[in-house]
Amino acid sequence: MNIEEKLSVLNYKTDPTYAHITVKPDLCEVCPDHFCTFACPASCYKLIDGKLNFKYEDCVECGTCFVACSHGSVNWTNPKGGQGIKYKLG
Amino acid sequence: MSEFDAIVVGAGPAGASAASRMASSGLNVLLVERGDPPGSKNVSGGILWGQELSKLYPDWEKSAPLERFISNKVTGFLTDDSYIGIDFRTKKFEKEKTGYSVLRTKLDGWLAKKAKDAGSTVITGITVDGLAWNDKRVVGIKQGNDIITSDLVVLAEGANPRIAIGEGLRPPIGDHDVAIGIKQVVKLSEQVINERFNLRNGAGMAAEFSLGFLKNGVKAGGFLYTNKDTISAGVVIDIAGLRKDNSTYSFNIMDQFVSHPYIAPYLEGGQLQEYSAHLVCEGGIDYVPKLYGNGYMITGDSAGLSFSNGMVIQGMNYAIASGIAAADTAIRCKNSGSYDLDQIAYYDNLMKDSQAIKDMKNFRGISKVTWSPMVHEFIPKFAESVLNGMFYETGEPKKHLMEIALGSLKETGYDRKKLIIEGFRLMRKM
Repeated sequence: MNIEEKLSVLNYKTDPTYAHITVKPDLCEVCPDHFCTFACPASCYKLIDGKLNFKYEDCVECGTCFVACSHGSVNWTNPKGGQGIKYKLG
Repeated sequence: MSEFDAIVVGAGPAGASAASRMASSGLNVLLVERGDPPGSKNVSGGILWGQELSKLYPDWEKSAPLERFISNKVTGFLTDDSYIGIDFRTKKFEKEKTGYSVLRTKLDGWLAKKAKDAGSTVITGITVDGLAWNDKRVVGIKQGNDIITSDLVVLAEGANPRIAIGEGLRPPIGDHDVAIGIKQVVKLSEQVINERFNLRNGAGMAAEFSLGFLKNGVKAGGFLYTNKDTISAGVVIDIAGLRKDNSTYSFNIMDQFVSHPYIAPYLEGGQLQEYSAHLVCEGGIDYVPKLYGNGYMITGDSAGLSFSNGMVIQGMNYAIASGIAAADTAIRCKNSGSYDLDQIAYYDNLMKDSQAIKDMKNFRGISKVTWSPMVHEFIPKFAESVLNGMFYETGEPKKHLMEIALGSLKETGYDRKKLIIEGFRLMRKM
């Protein structure tokens, strides 16, 4: 099973109006390591044609990227109003 | 006049325990949880050890949603080709139950209900944005444009404490303070699990491995815990090693673990029920911030109260213990009519005498050992080589163990000086 298939078993209540994590594209563009792409367990950070693509919708709210990014690009907040990942087992 | 005696942020084991205990003593308590329902944001690293919950709920072993009691503890190493483990089973574990596998959405839901039954006001699906301050004292919480006031705030946010960090109550998280936890819960029938793991009558297994098959200095532990009719399989990944390598995907390590030739058969035919990730506090006592201040206390994972010495992993029991200590402090403040800093300091005194802080102090610096190349590279390879030397029948004359060991030592190519230094550290710390 690849990561996309694994994520597909999860339940999310996605907030279309609020991205709880944002990145600063100008910093990501010149980033020498893009460690976020390796660290994020939900593969929310991907390099596509050398450009960082971030998708908050798949986030499982672990906080890894906040620690992983050593360049200050990641702004991390909790989703609002019970939205985001909804584990059934935990 | 505050609206509440205490506001608790986060309804995990720390927060729900604190709220329940305070409310039982007549305090006016608000428990705020961002997940809806409680537990829907939380992930169990496995086993709830100890008897902390009995202080709150003497009948917890009958009424809490526990999966299996742990009768079988496995600790071992995995290399590309081998599984090396100590498989410990004893009747003592069956008579005196020391730990249970749990799933957090169920457990935390139960804990939050207990807090509500005790008289707390529980609100879920509400994200606290920050703390309200007045004259350098925390006086409540902020949510949107609202402020809710309280004499005390108990922070129980978990391993990714946004408020504690945002408000400057603890330093940001570094590579050595946390590890990346990833877990898969796989559905199998109760009967199949019993047969595969040789378990009966509600008994369960807790297994932890050092993943010696990882390359380029990437380090991770793996775990398998049996639940009633699911298995929790997961990895805990060292961030520093992953960063240095910068070519290994964390989610692929999870895959490598469950695809290992001697792990995969345990999970075969099982259906993936859930994939999850969570930070695991690994920083030890040096990562524990000041536990209290004017108007607030920090509990559980938010305070880094988690511990692993490579053989035992503790977290939820420390969380419950710290929640109880915070509650007892709040009750004392309420009874004395003073919420001054020296009264809140009582929490720190209670924690200094707690198993959590004692364990963590006693094993200060243990993560240097548990994440050492010795544990993750040398020992797995060395043990594999020695065991092959002992058990592999070549038809040639047998060698003495010492001879095999020396040959294996050479084979690992590990620097001897480094080995002596790390070996000495391991003996001393562990």
